[in-house]
Amino acid sequence: MPHVISRTPKMAQSGHSSGMPADKNISSSVTRVIVKTAGKQEDFMIADDTSVRQFKEKLSTHFKCQMDQLVLVFMGRLLKDHDTLSQRGILDGHTIHLVIKSKRSSRSLAHSSRNLSTKEPCHQVRNTEGNTNGVYQPAGVSHTPLESALLVEPDAPKVHSQDLEVSGPEYIAQMLQNPSIQQLLSNTDLVRQFISEHPDMQQLMQQSPEVSYILDNSDILWQTLELARNLAMIQEIMQIQQPEQILEHPLNPQSHLGLETLPGGDNALGQSYVDCNDQMLNSSQDLFGGNPFPALLEGQVLQQLQSSPPSPPPPQERQDQLPQLPTTRVIYTSSHGLSSITSASVTPNKVNHTPSTHTTTISTKGPSPTCPIQQPARVPALPSIELTQHMPQLSEQYRQQLPTFLQQTQLSDMLIALANPKASQAILQIEQGLQLLATEAPVLLPWVAPYLWGLGWLPAPSCSHPDTVPWAWDVPDIAEPKGPECCHKSGTGLQSLQSLAGDPSHLLQAPEIRFSQQMESLQAMGFGNHHANLQALIATEGDTSAAIRKLKRSHGF
Amino acid sequence: MEPPNLYPVKLYVYDLSKGLARRLSPIMLGKQLEGIWHTSIVVHKDEFYFGSGGISSCPPGGTLLGPPDSVVDVGSTEVTEELFQEYLSSLGESLFRREAYNIFENNCNTFTNEVAQFLTGRKIPSYITDLPSEILSTQPLPTPGPYLSANSDSVSPELGPCPTKILAGLAGLARPFGQALRPFLDPIQIQPHGGSPIGRPNGQS
Repeated sequence: MPHVISRTPKMAQSGHSSGMPADKNISSSVTRVIVKTAGKQEDFMIADDTSVRQFKEKLSTHFKCQMDQLVLVFMGRLLKDHDTLSQRGILDGHTIHLVIKSKRSSRSLAHSSRNLSTKEPCHQVRNTEGNTNGVYQPAGVSHTPLESALLVEPDAPKVHSQDLEVSGPEYIAQMLQNPSIQQLLSNTDLVRQFISEHPDMQQLMQQSPEVSYILDNSDILWQTLELARNLAMIQEIMQIQQPEQILEHPLNPQSHLGLETLPGGDNALGQSYVDCNDQMLNSSQDLFGGNPFPALLEGQVLQQLQSSPPSPPPPQERQDQLPQLPTTRVIYTSSHGLSSITSASVTPNKVNHTPSTHTTTISTKGPSPTCPIQQPARVPALPSIELTQHMPQLSEQYRQQLPTFLQQTQLSDMLIALANPKASQAILQIEQGLQLLATEAPVLLPWVAPYLWGLGWLPAPSCSHPDTVPWAWDVPDIAEPKGPECCHKSGTGLQSLQSLAGDPSHLLQAPEIRFSQQMESLQAMGFGNHHANLQALIATEGDTSAAIRKLKRSHGF
Repeated sequence: MEPPNLYPVKLYVYDLSKGLARRLSPIMLGKQLEGIWHTSIVVHKDEFYFGSGGISSCPPGGTLLGPPDSVVDVGSTEVTEELFQEYLSSLGESLFRREAYNIFENNCNTFTNEVAQFLTGRKIPSYITDLPSEILSTQPLPTPGPYLSANSDSVSPELGPCPTKILAGLAGLARPFGQALRPFLDPIQIQPHGGSPIGRPNGQS
């Protein structure tokens, strides 16, 4: 009579039962097997000729479960009830694995059909914990097979209707691939019943009766499904219908891709960008004095390019666009080779995003003061090619002016910085502060020498103070040469920067402020006519000695 | 009775160091390691592994690690897919809970070994399971100071300090590598991404 003793592993290691020596003769029929389950293992002493069924009985009492919940695995083989342990080659010290199935799954196994049973574990594996329990709440009996498959994890603690969204489209897609589900879905009556009986759908239909009409119309349903499958198509539709909105916002670079998927989409892209460009520039006619692009087409651009940009002091927001203007025109109408060069030279200036040159991120409004100079360079190459085809003579002239363009674009960093009114103001403030320092406490000037160096400050204090500060170095003369006895007055550092950049934004400030220091010195010299002084200074761009000569001449000395 | 279905069981082996361990381990640890192994079991057309996120599964080769560096045939099993799921769920609640991950004692290879034995009765190759003990068994050596100075006497003048001597000195420093790093490595958890967790029907936190 086989006796079964179950011990904890620790006890087992301490040795066999006391009756071991006596059992040695019988021990050939009694084996100690290790049963491993769920991360723990226990020893069992059983007789060789024990059948699997009997063994299961023992185990079921030991583990407090039903026999059909037990599955024994040895060497990868499932142990059938009618086998004996010795038949399966289970010897002393071998390990048998035990899986105790949960009650529910053993029940659902019995119900589900054959093909579903192979697919269930897939769903079990692939679905997250918050799972498809709530997808369909079918009421009819005919839904049982589906229900048993879908309710595989009924105890998921987070079963809410929100789990529908949590499970995500990919899970639904996987479910749709299940042939049994496809079979169910192909049954139109069933599907209609599904949808109409779903409480959420019923709520929706109460709120908007049109939905029920839509659901009845199979064509609409089919189109909706097609659309849902092809999200790219949706994007394209949205893009085509809303080009105006693009004007105000920079284009999402991904949106190009939508149109490109359409045959001939590239042409549509290019055309839409041309349209955008023209529209935007047409809208800003008052600032630019007319859309320069049609003007270009008519060949009037030559005069416009060669003349200097208008110099009346414009308001701040125009300031951002004026420097943009010449570069815009130039780059837009350049030849194909030129445009590639300019775009290449602009890229080091931290042009971000857009893989292609097709962008319309030209904002003509002030709020992005740092961008306007970058953006014109990204004008599409497509329209430029068309233009140059029409105007070969224009392209010739532009090639000649290539070096200037290059210089301009290389200096575009400075242009950008200077176009920022705040930056210019900051530089001015620095200069004014230094001037003040020079007048009040010249002894401190060596401490701020690095700043003076950068601003092109020549080593001479204002004329009204004796020169007591020795300078040990020569400050490089960046800008146009000034008289060595004269000191630079306010705005000269900024002017030097601006003249270097060739940028008309030195017109930022009213001349009175820029030349205030020169005015003071002129006053000190005895030129009392404030207005005349100002005019002279404006004419000479702040050069005090030249202004003095001018004033003398005008006064007839 | 129809013959039961036999499902092949494979072991996917990944070298997490991508060959660096083979080259640098002699210097760093003083012994040769062929790799830092991460393994997973592939059965029923799914890959199962244990990481810091618990037991996870994905399509074979579907983690961020990409395709395996080697594939070992473990054998075949009669265990059906849903039975295997049950088994994994029970493991995931007991021995291989997410928080039970320990890089030395209860890691992906421990899991794989366990599962392989369940499925086929066979263990995974020992070079994989011996890895933590290999690393931890590096012995601290005496300080490299006398080691270096003793060698500097024999340095040939034209070469200056021989680079290999310097490396040897560094290796001496690195000898207690494994032990010293243990407190730092213990909280490390490896979880290749690209899998989905496996949970028990009764809800696993």
